[in-house]
Amino acid sequence: MSARGFEATNAATGNGPLGLVTRLALRAYSLRWVALPPLVGISMFALIVGAVIAAPREAVEGEVQRLFYIHVPSAIAAYGAFFVVFVCSIALLWKRDMRWDAVARSAAGVGVLFTGFALATGAIWGRPIWGVYWTWDARLTSTLILFLLYSGYLLARSVAEPSDEQAARFGAVFAIIAFADIPIIQMSVRWWRTLHPQPIVFDPTPSLPGEMLIVLGIGFIAITLLATWLIVLRAETESLTLRAQELRARLDRREERGMGRS
Amino acid sequence: MDHLEYLFAGFAVFWAGLFVYLLWLQMRLRTLQRELEQLQERLEEEQPATAPREVAAPAEGPTSARTAERGV
Repeated sequence: MSARGFEATNAATGNGPLGLVTRLALRAYSLRWVALPPLVGISMFALIVGAVIAAPREAVEGEVQRLFYIHVPSAIAAYGAFFVVFVCSIALLWKRDMRWDAVARSAAGVGVLFTGFALATGAIWGRPIWGVYWTWDARLTSTLILFLLYSGYLLARSVAEPSDEQAARFGAVFAIIAFADIPIIQMSVRWWRTLHPQPIVFDPTPSLPGEMLIVLGIGFIAITLLATWLIVLRAETESLTLRAQELRARLDRREERGMGRS
Repeated sequence: MDHLEYLFAGFAVFWAGLFVYLLWLQMRLRTLQRELEQLQERLEEEQPATAPREVAAPAEGPTSARTAERGV
């Protein structure tokens, strides 16, 4: 979404609470190139130090448990990215503005990347603890389905032209339906008997020691900032792609007019 | 018991994946920027001298900012 788009929204929302929130969002968005890269760098450095040095060694699993600090935040960042796809897809169907589609595609790419990280780090962690890289466990299988669903969405959108409105609308409907997999993933460890541990963080009484919770919190902040930065970068490429397409169309129209005169 | 090789492999997969993704994004941004500059030049070349100039609004972001600085 371009700043001009937000400015238009700002003008439309006026001075109410929504207008204030929009203005704050616009202000934060305008600082993205200045604020995000150093924030990502500092928080990722803090995450490495926290995960590798500061966090205590887990008594049962040993050092390999430190993968937890990138595995869980990667999964949460993926959920966040897919939530952005969900919201942008609804906005696209409602407003018929193709900028929402560009943001949805950007967020879907980043969501697939972080789902891939969660699956890969989970498999590597699972090998010494469970004895296998992969098992058709409910949590793992539903996460793999999420990865395949959004990979399919990206593949279908990449086959169509970025400005193809009908393809964008079909993609939006697909992305909204695919989002239903996330609550299934979250509830899978409660609904079925699984190898994957029960939630220990988003539990009313977290069973993690304080130091581990702090490092995990840093992990959430660092990886969420990283995912946000990647979505912004990806949205920039989408906006340039649309711009190039617009210029090509303008050149084609001019050449056609020139040929018509001659 | 500690399985340090798996810990190393997990972190390596994460960082390598991130590095490759950033490299791919950077290459895509650079290609698009170059393409935009070429298209803009072609548009300006084909513009009749008397006709009002069609000035394309620069897209947002660091690449387009650089494009704007060069006066393209």
